[in-house]
Amino acid sequence: MDFLRTLLSRIIELFARPHHDHNLDDEIAAHLDLLIQQYVASGMSQGDARTAALRDFGSVAQARETYRVQRGFPHLEQFARDLRYAARQLRRSPGFTLTAVLTLALGLGANIAVFSLLNCILLRPLPVPNAQELAVIRTDRNDDERGPNYSFGSPFLRSLEQHHDGFESIAGYSTHPFQVRNEATNVRVPGALVSGQFFQLLQTPPLLGRWLTTRDDREGQARVAVISDGYWKARFHRDPAVIGQTLTIANKPFTVVGVMPSSFVGADPMYRPEIYVPVWAEPIIDAPYNAIVSGYHSWWMRVIGRRAPGVSLDKANAALGSLSDPILDESIPDAKWIKDARAHHFRFAAEPGSRGYSYMRDTFRKPLVVVFVLCSAMLLLACLNLASLLMARAAARERELATRLAMGASRLRLIQQLLVESLLIAVLGTAAGLMAAPAVSRFLAAVLIGGNGDYVSLDTSLDLRVLVFVAGVAVISTLLVGLVPALRATSKSLNEQIKSGSNSVHARQHHLLPRLLMGLQVGLALILVFGAGLLATSLQRLHSIDVGFQPKGLVNLSLEMNKQSRDGDVLVAWYHQYIDALSRLPGVKAVAYVSYPPISGSTWTEDMHTTISKGDQEIYMNSVSPGYFSTLKIPLLAGRDFQWSDNATSGLKAVLSVRAAQKLFPGQNAVGQSVIQSGAGDSKKVYQVIAVVGDIHYSSLRNEAPPEGYFCIMQNTDHKPNYVAVTRVEGSVVPLAAAARQLASRMAPEVPAPVLTPMTTDIDRSIASERIMAMLAVFFAICALLVTAIGLYGTLAYSTARRTSEIGIRMALGAKPAQVVGLVFRENVWVAVYGSLGGLVVAWFAARALTSLLYSTSARDPWVLIASVIVLGLIASAASLVPAIRAARIDPSTALRAE
Amino acid sequence: MGDNKSDVLQGTLDLMVLKTLEAMSPLHGYGIARRIEQVSGDAVVLNQGTIYPALLRLEQRGWIKSEWGTSETNRRARFYSLSRIGRKKIAEETENWERIAATMARFLAPSN
Repeated sequence: MDFLRTLLSRIIELFARPHHDHNLDDEIAAHLDLLIQQYVASGMSQGDARTAALRDFGSVAQARETYRVQRGFPHLEQFARDLRYAARQLRRSPGFTLTAVLTLALGLGANIAVFSLLNCILLRPLPVPNAQELAVIRTDRNDDERGPNYSFGSPFLRSLEQHHDGFESIAGYSTHPFQVRNEATNVRVPGALVSGQFFQLLQTPPLLGRWLTTRDDREGQARVAVISDGYWKARFHRDPAVIGQTLTIANKPFTVVGVMPSSFVGADPMYRPEIYVPVWAEPIIDAPYNAIVSGYHSWWMRVIGRRAPGVSLDKANAALGSLSDPILDESIPDAKWIKDARAHHFRFAAEPGSRGYSYMRDTFRKPLVVVFVLCSAMLLLACLNLASLLMARAAARERELATRLAMGASRLRLIQQLLVESLLIAVLGTAAGLMAAPAVSRFLAAVLIGGNGDYVSLDTSLDLRVLVFVAGVAVISTLLVGLVPALRATSKSLNEQIKSGSNSVHARQHHLLPRLLMGLQVGLALILVFGAGLLATSLQRLHSIDVGFQPKGLVNLSLEMNKQSRDGDVLVAWYHQYIDALSRLPGVKAVAYVSYPPISGSTWTEDMHTTISKGDQEIYMNSVSPGYFSTLKIPLLAGRDFQWSDNATSGLKAVLSVRAAQKLFPGQNAVGQSVIQSGAGDSKKVYQVIAVVGDIHYSSLRNEAPPEGYFCIMQNTDHKPNYVAVTRVEGSVVPLAAAARQLASRMAPEVPAPVLTPMTTDIDRSIASERIMAMLAVFFAICALLVTAIGLYGTLAYSTARRTSEIGIRMALGAKPAQVVGLVFRENVWVAVYGSLGGLVVAWFAARALTSLLYSTSARDPWVLIASVIVLGLIASAASLVPAIRAARIDPSTALRAE
Repeated sequence: MGDNKSDVLQGTLDLMVLKTLEAMSPLHGYGIARRIEQVSGDAVVLNQGTIYPALLRLEQRGWIKSEWGTSETNRRARFYSLSRIGRKKIAEETENWERIAATMARFLAPSN
């Protein structure tokens, strides 16, 4: 109690000190007055009385000091004094301060940014209670080279819902944009189809109303929906009467029964649905498609489970595995399929799912880890650099420190003071890094997601715990880094110091540690530059691939016609009218339809054969309109393009790519011949080949051009197909976007506004992970070069400054400026050479790790290696030349007089 | 710095101050110092300056309180008096001190 009260009173005093100093002085004055009066009364003269009073009182100064110590926090005050002193010191050498703070900020900022991205993609659990009980369900087969399968059809889900041994609940979900009526038109809203146990499994209570239950997820039940907090706010302005209101989704009314809190993100941490509806409504939502009717042919859901209390993942996994056979029998009505599945050890399996399932995690795991390693190397480099800078600075201050030691400062106090200086740098650097980090990670996230319209959300905010941890580590490591130079600088006595002076002969051995640090930096920088060079080269090669068409100037305009009323020939006529109108817009050079634009991520394949092909061939397919090949500038090698008059009655027509023609008609001319589409049962269709066109990269940049066939949209028998109008534009896309939307809303007001994406964006997005890796690697490499240059320059400048008089003597004795330049320059040359050699050796072995990430680039590409060494050598030379030249300009007489 | 050496002394000084204030208060620093010297029959000669840190310590603990007033020489001075906690503490501290004194006395008594 007494202790607490004392503490409290001291804290209060902290803020009131000046006033109270005055108070004590008053008290002492009054005291002395009374004492003097007492002695005067006893007959002393005024002067004697005063002397006697002062004697009785004792030392006023000591009383004051003891009082002050008792009153406040002497250590704190001393610390504040040290801090002010350190701030003054740093302000006096702004170059050093800026370098040190920037170095640290760069290293830390990049690290925090990348880490927060890693955290949100790879590490952070779903924000639901007891996330550690969640499991992601998958299926394994021993013949699937793509690895485990995370997609499920509805029959499996329904069986799993029934038998969930080891699991408290199992749920399936599928996320994609829904078409929701908003006034006269439909808009796309991120949505999720969720099975009955979904909400129960995620255990987050609704904000309003109720969540969906197993009772809602039965065919023929009332159409109900749960909405997100964000949608409640945006659409209903947080009206509590939202429960019971109707939303028109895919042209059918759904009743809102609940609102989820804003913390709820569903089961995919990177996709935030705004609307949740039961799985049974899939045929309504996805009309005219129906994945439920397609049964086991359609794999469209992810499945997650929550383990029953006390059941380990291993046990749950085993229970699930033993269910595989009964579930196969129960859910698949195809004996051949079951037999095939059994032969390949088809089984269900559970894996840890606390973080939910996200395709992004699989896609970006490796690149992010690579980036994180680069980042850590960068931080290490920054620390090394800081250490050598501090060391050089402390070395330059050795005399000052030795003098202060000789004058009675304790070594502990001096070290304390130096550490406070490091602390200040650490805090400033960390703060700058922390401030820059969110912007950097937002930028990275934007590059990662690549463009708009995906409804992907990345929450890159960093948890407070991580933040505090990072800041703590940074500050502590800086203090440790600062401790070595502080200890070294204060270790010498003044005597030694003055004897050795600034023309120290021992300077060389004294400099072993800083040189080692610099060498390490050079080596690390070389590794970073080499890695960045490899990744950039690989990206450059990816970019310069000839894709078979000209993506520049193409804009994909995707239309969603699946929820409006036109179909068949009427819809084809509408599509035709629409591009006719589009092609008349200013700036539009050509326009045509396609089902799946190349490199957009979607493809479709069919088995085809001819009389001379060796059985069925897998051909990549697309549906296109007349003018597609000329719009994309795909060369028409033989035959004719489709015409609008090719329709349902005119006989089926097909166009083949060169590779497809070679596969289906080996050694023959394909034009005019027939290909047969090997459909299920007897629904064979025979197409007449009317042309052969050039090969293009259909599925991705990395993969070679596949054999491709084209049908025409006029002969497509699907209901209400969606097409993308590929438009070749000259000039800005902006006026086209507005005009195309206006046109669509005039011709079909109920259709959602078309989404525009430049083809180059699609291509960039398809190599987002390569792009981000290369970009970051280059960024880090540049930072590394900068930091190394600064380090080399800084340490050399300091050590040269200390050798001023030595150089002066040399010059007085006849050394030529060139010799002096050589002398100083040589100091760094060895550091650079040894560092580079070390770096080369490590890079040679470490580059292996990059092999799988590189495109047609060897991990030991000699050109990249040579270029890295040259770049580093140039930078190091430039950084070392400046102090060397400055040394050569030293005027011998001034230098000697200065001593 | 010498904290340990003066601990015992500090303790005695604190108790002397408390007892003084119990007998007569409010009193300023000079008055307290004078009174301690008088009561001790001038056996205790204080460096009177040391009384101020002691007063501060006691006030920080909340055992005494102070008010500004005017001294006999018409100067601004602080007048100290016991607080409620201080009154309770005196008994405790007295007992404490007596125990120590008795123990010491036993040690110092000629052994027989």
